[in-house]
Amino acid sequence: MVNFTIPQLRAIMDKPKNIRNMSVIAHVDHGKSTLTDSLVAAAGIISMASAGDQRLTDTRADEAERGITIKSTGISLYNEISEEEIPDAKMPKDSAGREFLINLIDSPGHVDFSAEVTAALRITDGALVVVDSIEGVSVQTETVLRQALGERIKPVLTVNKLDRGFLELQLDWESMYTNFSKHVENVNVIISTYKDEAMGDLQVYPDKGTVSFSAGLHGWAFTLPQFARMYAKKFGVSEEKMCERLWGENYFNPAEKKWTKEGDTANRAFNMFILDPIGKIVQATMNDQLDKLEKMLSALNIKMKKEDLELKGKALLKRTMQSWIPAHKALLEMMILHLPSPAAAQKYRAELLYTGPADDACCTGIRECNPEAPLVLYVSKMVPSADKGRFIAFGRVFSGTVQAGVKIRIMGPNYVPGKKEDLNIKSIQRVVLFMGRKQDPVDTVPVGNTCGLIGIDQFLVKTGTLTTAEDGYPMKDMKFSVSPVVRCAVEPKNPQDLPKLVEGLKRLAKSDPMVVISIEESGEHIVAGAGELHMEICLKDLQDDYMNGAPLKISDPVVSYRETVTAETDQECMSKSPNKHNRLYFKALPLGEELTNIIDDGQITPRDDVKVRGRRLADEFGWDVDIARKIWAFGPDIVGPNLVCDATKAVQFLNEIKDSVVAGFNWVTKEGVICEENMRGICFQILDVTMHADAIHRGGGQIIPTARRVMYAAEMLSQPRLMEPVFLVEIQCPEQAMGGIYSCLNRRRGQVFEENQRPGTPLYNVKAYLPVSESFGFDSDLRAQTAGQAFPQCVFDHWDLVLGDPLAPGKLRDEVIAGIRKRKGLAVEVPPLDRFKDKL
Amino acid sequence: MEEKTDKSTGVLYLIGLGLSTEQDITVRGLQVVKRCKHVYLEGYTSILGVEKSKLEEFYGREVELMDREAVESNSDEMLLAARTAEVAFLVVGDVYGATTHTDIALRAKEMGIRVEVIHNASIMNACGACGLQLYNFGQTVSLCFWTESWQPDSYIDKILLNKRNGMHTLCLLDIKVKEQSEENLIRGRKIFEPPRFMTVNQALEQLEQIVRRREDVRDVLDLRSTCVGLARVGQETQCIASGPLEELKSFDFGPPLHSLIIPAEMHPLEIDMLRSFNVKQ
Repeated sequence: MVNFTIPQLRAIMDKPKNIRNMSVIAHVDHGKSTLTDSLVAAAGIISMASAGDQRLTDTRADEAERGITIKSTGISLYNEISEEEIPDAKMPKDSAGREFLINLIDSPGHVDFSAEVTAALRITDGALVVVDSIEGVSVQTETVLRQALGERIKPVLTVNKLDRGFLELQLDWESMYTNFSKHVENVNVIISTYKDEAMGDLQVYPDKGTVSFSAGLHGWAFTLPQFARMYAKKFGVSEEKMCERLWGENYFNPAEKKWTKEGDTANRAFNMFILDPIGKIVQATMNDQLDKLEKMLSALNIKMKKEDLELKGKALLKRTMQSWIPAHKALLEMMILHLPSPAAAQKYRAELLYTGPADDACCTGIRECNPEAPLVLYVSKMVPSADKGRFIAFGRVFSGTVQAGVKIRIMGPNYVPGKKEDLNIKSIQRVVLFMGRKQDPVDTVPVGNTCGLIGIDQFLVKTGTLTTAEDGYPMKDMKFSVSPVVRCAVEPKNPQDLPKLVEGLKRLAKSDPMVVISIEESGEHIVAGAGELHMEICLKDLQDDYMNGAPLKISDPVVSYRETVTAETDQECMSKSPNKHNRLYFKALPLGEELTNIIDDGQITPRDDVKVRGRRLADEFGWDVDIARKIWAFGPDIVGPNLVCDATKAVQFLNEIKDSVVAGFNWVTKEGVICEENMRGICFQILDVTMHADAIHRGGGQIIPTARRVMYAAEMLSQPRLMEPVFLVEIQCPEQAMGGIYSCLNRRRGQVFEENQRPGTPLYNVKAYLPVSESFGFDSDLRAQTAGQAFPQCVFDHWDLVLGDPLAPGKLRDEVIAGIRKRKGLAVEVPPLDRFKDKL
Repeated sequence: MEEKTDKSTGVLYLIGLGLSTEQDITVRGLQVVKRCKHVYLEGYTSILGVEKSKLEEFYGREVELMDREAVESNSDEMLLAARTAEVAFLVVGDVYGATTHTDIALRAKEMGIRVEVIHNASIMNACGACGLQLYNFGQTVSLCFWTESWQPDSYIDKILLNKRNGMHTLCLLDIKVKEQSEENLIRGRKIFEPPRFMTVNQALEQLEQIVRRREDVRDVLDLRSTCVGLARVGQETQCIASGPLEELKSFDFGPPLHSLIIPAEMHPLEIDMLRSFNVKQ
C-alpha cells in the first residue's frame, strides 16, 4: 500500500517549510526501531499488519539477530494532515499546504554506537526522544539528548512502552501518572541546563503537545491535545483549556460535575479521561469481553472490520488501539506541529555549523534556506552500497541544490580554506533518496533535504562538506561523545591476504563514523573502537564483508592511554638544535582537570578571539594575561587538550620559528615520550630562545626536532603520569543480584557511586566507574555472577590518573609501559633524559 | 706507524677545499690529505664544481661523504677515529667561512683532540671579484627558500642596517641537499627531497616581494637599487652581473651556486669596476 510515489515526494522537497528532518534517539531497547516502524507502516512502505513485528530500519542480519540497531538508517515519510484534525489556525505558521515530508533517521541506542547518533543528529533539526515508561531516562538518553541540544536540535518526547504498564506490570493509574510526570521532569532537567536564546524555550510539556505517550509494539500513541479534542465539546470548553486540565493537578468530580485543583487520585483528569478508557479497552480485549468492547467501540466511534473482531487477546488489543489512536497520527502530528522546518532551524543553526564568515554567500544561503544559493552539503556518513566495496555518501543539503554531473568542491575534515590539502574537485555521478533498504535515483535534491550521493566515495574518508562556492568554508566537524579507547591489532591468517586486509581496513574506516585505523611502527594494523561490542561488530564487518571472509588473527583488546604531567618542570630544560646554533628553553605544567575538560568540550578552542580567550583564562584559571594571549597552538590534531604558549620576553624573530615549534608540538602531543600515546592536559611554555643570527640556520630541519626533544625533556621532568580511560557503567538488576555486581566490580577495580531503586519496580539501578582496561569480558562475567539478571551499559566517561611513576621501576613501567612499547615496535626502555635535554 | 693508546696522538684537520675544482686545495692541505687515515667530505653546505670521484682520483684515496645528519648528529665516529689517528674533514670553501663548523672543533677539543685548520678561499672573500671592497662589507645574511607559511624576511633588516651605514651586504642563497619535507621529518622517514639551489633570480624575487609589502624599506631599497649577482665564483665559468633589481631579475646566471650582493654607497673605483659587469653589456 504505497501511498506516495517518488515524483510526488520530489515535488514536496521543494518546500523546505513543509519538511521535518528528525532523528529518533533513546537508550538501547527503549523501542526506537519498533516505534519508527509503525511510522513507516503508516507512510505505506510495509503493511499495517506487520508493524511491530518486522523492523524495517534494521537492515542488517546481525541487527535482526541481536535485536538492536547498529547503523543509523534514513527513511523519507510523507504525511498529509486533514483539516478536521488540525484547523488552519493551528497549523505551523510558516507551512504551505497540508502535505509534509518527514525525513526520519533511526539510530542505534547502544552507547558503543553513539557515533552513529552524532552523525544522525548533524543532519536533522529535531529529535524524537523515546523514553521507556518503566525504566525512565537512562545514561544514553541523557548523553544523546545533551548532544542534540549542543547541535541546536529541538527535542520532543514520547514516553514509550505504555503497554508494559497495562499488561506486564499492571500498574494502577496514579503510579503510571507519577512515572510519566517524573520522566518528563527528568528530561526537562537535562534540557534546562542548555539555555539557548536563539532557540527559545526547549522544555517539553504534555499539555502543550510536545510530549506523547506511546506503545510502539502495539502501534498506538496519543498526545493530550488529541484527547482534548475528543473531550472539549463534551465539556463545552476550548481545546486549550481542556488540554491544560488533562495534565497536572486537575481533578474532576463526576458526582458534582466540578473541576478542582485538589482531589482523589482516581479523579485526576489524566487518570480518569485517558488512562481509564485505555485500561478498559485493554481489559475488555484481554478478557475476551467482546460485547463490552463493541459497546465501547461504538461510543468512541471506532469502526473495525468483522474479521478483526475475530482476533483474540493481544492481537485484538493491538488492532483495536491502532484503529482508535494510531501511533503515526499522534507522532507525525507532534513532529509536524512542534519540530522546526529546515527553513526555521537553519536560521539559528547556520552560524553554529558553518566555519566561515557569517555574511558570505554560503552562510547566507544556509540561514535563508535558499535553493538558488551556492551548494553546501554536509556528508555525515558513508553507507555501504549494493555495489560491493563502494559507498554512498549520505548527507544533507544545507544550502542550494545538489545535482549530478556538476563539478563540486569536496572538502574533507583536514581541509584548510585557501589550501589544497584534502580538497577534490569532482562531479557526483548520481543523487539518490534513501527508502529503507532501497535507494531511488532523482535528478536534483534541494536545500533542507537528506540524500545519498554516488561516485564520490573515494574522495571522502568518513565525512566532509561539498560546495560549489569557490571561497566556501567547510561545515564544522562533528564532535563525538565517545572516544575510540579500545583497540585490537589485526593481521590476516594467511599472509597473502594482506592486500585484502589493507583494502578492507580502508572500507571499514569509511563505513563507521567512529572507528580509527592506524599502523604502528612495528607494522601492526590497529583498529580502535568505542567498546567491546563496537569492536566486535567492526571486526566482523571487516572479516565478512570487506575482506570476503578471509580469516583474521585478532589480538586481545588493549586500551589507549594518555600521557600527562602532574607538576611544573622543576629545573631548566634546554635542548640544542642539530647544528648547535639554536637553543630552546621550555617548561611543562599541568593544565588542570577543569581546563582540560573545557577544551575537550570545545568551549575553549583555537578559533576563539585571542583577547576574550585570554581574559577567560586569566579570570577563571588564574593565568598570566600575557601568556594567555600568546597561545600558539592546541594539539594533537589542532584542537586537542594540550597547549603550547609563548612565555618569552622580547625574543627577536620568534615568529620565524613559530611554525616549526608548533609542528614539533603536534608531533609530541600525538606521541608522548613514555609510550608514544597522546598527551593530555599539558601546557608547554617557551621560556627563552637563542637563535643563530641567520634564518637559514634555524629552519624547520633544525627547530622541529629540537622542539620535540625539549618538550620530551620537559614532560619527563614534570612528574609524568599515565592516564587510563574509565567507563561509566549503568547496571539494572533485581535486588538479589546486587552481591554479584559488587563482587564483580571489586575484582575489576570498579567503584560504585550511585545506587537507586526504581520507584514502582523491584529493580535497582547501579552506577559505577570501571577502568576500560578491566572491562573486557565484564559483560559475560557479570551475567555469570548474577544468573543473567544484570545488564550493564558502558560508556566512556573520563580519563583517570594511573597510580605510580611511569619512569621508576615497578609493575607500571616494567609491564604496562614495556608492553605498550613492545607492541608498538619501540625499544622497551623509555629513552633516558639526556637524549632530549642538553647540558648548559 | 705504531698505534698508540695515548689520547692526544690523533689530529683532526679541518681543511678548506676552495671554490672551484679538486686542484684548488692548498699544497699543505693535499699533503695532509694524502697521509691521513680517514678523509671525510662535508657535502651539504656548499658544493664544488666537480664530482667526488674527481677528488678521490686527485688525492689518490677514498673520501667519505658526510651529509647534514652525519655531521650534526652522527659525527662521533669521525671524532673517535681522530682520537688515535690523523683524520681530515674537508669543507668546500673555507672551514670558518660561510659555513660554521665551530661545533665540531669544539667537541674535538673537549675530547682532547688536537684540531688544526688549513684555510682556503671562501665566497666570503672571493666575492671581492666583483670589485666591491671587502673592507666595506657589513653583516652577511642568508636567504631561505620560502614556503607558503614560512617566509622569514628578518634578513632585510640587516640589509637595511648595513646599507644605512654605508656597508655592502653579501647574501648567501639557500642550498637544500638531502632535506626532508616537514611531513617526513615528523614521521621520522628518511626520505629526502631532490636538491635545490636558490638562484639570484629567486632571491631578487623575494626582495621584490618584501619591497612591495614593507613600506619602511623603500627609502633604502627599491626596484631601481643596484644589485650584483654572482655565480660559480672562483670557477672557470664564473659569471658576475650588476644592475637595477628589476633588470637583473631576468638575467640568466646559469647553473649553481649563486650569491647576491646589495651594495651600499660606493667608492668611485668600486663604481668603475661594477660598471664593467653591467647587465646591459
